[in-house]
Amino acid sequence: MTAPIGIEPLLAISHNTLVVACGVAAVGFAAGVIGCFGVLRKRALVGDAAAHATLVGVALAFLATGRRDLPVLLVGGFISGLVALGVLVLLKRCSRTRDDAATAIVLSVSFGLGITLVSGITARGIPGGAGLEQFLLGHTAALTTADAVLLAAVSAAAVLLLVVLLKEATLVAFDSSFAAATGWPVALIDYCLVMLVAVMVVAGLPAAGAVLVTALVVIPPVAARQWTDRVPTMLLLSGVFGVVSALCGVAVSAVVPRLATGPLVVLAAAFIFAVSFVVAPDRGWWARHRQRLAHQKQ
Amino acid sequence: MTTLSFFTDGGGMHAWAIATAAMVAAGCALVGTLLVVRRMSLVGDAISHAVLPGIVVAVLAGGRPGGLLVLVGAVAAALLTVWLTQLLRTEGGLAEDAGAGVTFTSLFALGVVMVTAAASRIDLDPACILHGVLELVPFDTLPILGVEVPRAFLTAVVVFVMLAVAALATWKLQVFTAFDAGAARAAGVPVAAVTTGLLVATALATVAGFEAVGAILVVAMLVVPAATAELLSRRLHRIAVLSILLGVAAAVIGYLAAWRCNTSAAGMIAVVLGVQYLACVLLTPDDGIVARLCNHGWFAWRVACEDRLAACWRAEETAARGDAVPTLVRPTVGDRLADGWLAITGRVARGPRGWMLTARGREQADTVVRSHRLWESWLGRHADLPLDHLHPPAEWIEHHLGAQVRRRIEAEVGMRTSDPHGRTIPPEP
Repeated sequence: MTAPIGIEPLLAISHNTLVVACGVAAVGFAAGVIGCFGVLRKRALVGDAAAHATLVGVALAFLATGRRDLPVLLVGGFISGLVALGVLVLLKRCSRTRDDAATAIVLSVSFGLGITLVSGITARGIPGGAGLEQFLLGHTAALTTADAVLLAAVSAAAVLLLVVLLKEATLVAFDSSFAAATGWPVALIDYCLVMLVAVMVVAGLPAAGAVLVTALVVIPPVAARQWTDRVPTMLLLSGVFGVVSALCGVAVSAVVPRLATGPLVVLAAAFIFAVSFVVAPDRGWWARHRQRLAHQKQ
Repeated sequence: MTTLSFFTDGGGMHAWAIATAAMVAAGCALVGTLLVVRRMSLVGDAISHAVLPGIVVAVLAGGRPGGLLVLVGAVAAALLTVWLTQLLRTEGGLAEDAGAGVTFTSLFALGVVMVTAAASRIDLDPACILHGVLELVPFDTLPILGVEVPRAFLTAVVVFVMLAVAALATWKLQVFTAFDAGAARAAGVPVAAVTTGLLVATALATVAGFEAVGAILVVAMLVVPAATAELLSRRLHRIAVLSILLGVAAAVIGYLAAWRCNTSAAGMIAVVLGVQYLACVLLTPDDGIVARLCNHGWFAWRVACEDRLAACWRAEETAARGDAVPTLVRPTVGDRLADGWLAITGRVARGPRGWMLTARGREQADTVVRSHRLWESWLGRHADLPLDHLHPPAEWIEHHLGAQVRRRIEAEVGMRTSDPHGRTIPPEP
């Protein structure tokens, strides 16, 4: 009679871990798919500024509500990420500062503000405030089933929206002047794509943390680009790479709880990229090397 | 607690922390100036993340944080990042930002995993990776001439002196390369070596600040003071000096504010840097946002007033010719405000048929209408435009022409007294 009592909590844990893994895998898929257009549009680092700024919103949302509810914190993070992107656009338009410096300024100052808020909350010993540090590097062990379902739902909605916009987004990514000349609202489409990236950056926070979440929307697309020249294939492949790296990260950090999830997810993605970079047909390093050799022989 | 005892208590704990932050900020600001003018801010961002695995490997190999081995490890990691990014660009066809995004996030992730995995074996706090532990700097000291000096401060001073000497020695080469790399290469400057030197300098400045303020806030110290100084001056050596001063000021103010608010000093220093930058973006005299808005507003107001004066002038001209004065379009709020101001300043007065020009107002209106009609004459002679296309450009330029330009135009169109529409050009008052 003692065995079931011993097994039950174990089963409960594994069930929760399973659901969390599914949620994080959904986030990895969606981030991989949506990141493709950021990479194709040559705006890989836009998400980084938004990602670092999310910490401010997370901390403020916690201060406003006094609770550590994931949905509330993520909405706060989303708002502050958008504010940071707005400030970035304003700085690029209205100041003499060059684009790269403006990005670095928004990124580092907003992160500094976030750190100031989080440290202040921790130092004052506000109950639950200590867990905010988990948003720096990601920590999926703290996720509940409801959180995971929420993340999966947000990811599904984002992917759905991208599928609706697929034709327009492809057109803008490959020939924005043609798109503008034929009357497509290029600015609006760009705006939607940036919003989607911001959504995925925020949804990726629990898994990868503010510092590294940008890797989720950059590395899988860049890896997928090595294998194919077709957009639908690239989207799908990038999504799969995202899922695999997310699952690897969750699995390893479940076995070694001391390790934060974010760096593990990023390392898994980096490994996939390294393999793709070397062995991919046509664009891979090995294929190019052999082409060069064949060329020299001729 | 008196002000002085704040700095002297506990062996000058706060004073040492502030001095360390200031030295780190000075070194970063000096390097950052060159990074910002060379549009390499994001390279600074990438390097500050990517030095982490280099530091960890060096510490695992027996180096002390801030020691020579660690500096070497950090420089190696920085150069590896830049080399990898270039490799991804040339061999993989990746855009530079995507390549950097892949490289520095991966290296940083590697560093974090190594730190956490080896936490029991190495003297490196995972928290300090992200936001530093400036507050703990004074507790790790070395005796120098009988005084216990914090190790981090020593590292920061040594690095700053090295950077300053290198900057002074190669300043001309750096400036030449920064502003015209092509010409510099043609003139025999070893551009690649100069750039590599800058990358090494960035790595050194970063690693000196790593322990005190952490990987990401070092980016703030690198880029923000230089960007702020760039708004204040256009001469590179002045930008460098200003940026060091701004960085040091932010370090001092940020530390004190953080101590008052009981929060992270590194975070607060970044916030102070951000406030400095924002203040300059808003308030610089010539091209600050506030100054530009004021100029726009003031100009719009002058245009509104001059347009109302000219409208009165034309109404009176029509009346004098004996034609029926056309009913004016309903005046807008701006028009009414302008009317009120013109009345207060004695340029128009209430007459039987609405506003009438006073002598002062007529003088000013003469100039506006004269500019308008002279320009129409000039366009009529030189631009080959139909008559009904002359008015809009003249309506715009009438607010910009000075007396000298009006005389030149008059000489050009030949002392005419009427414009292409056959209406009188009023004489210069």
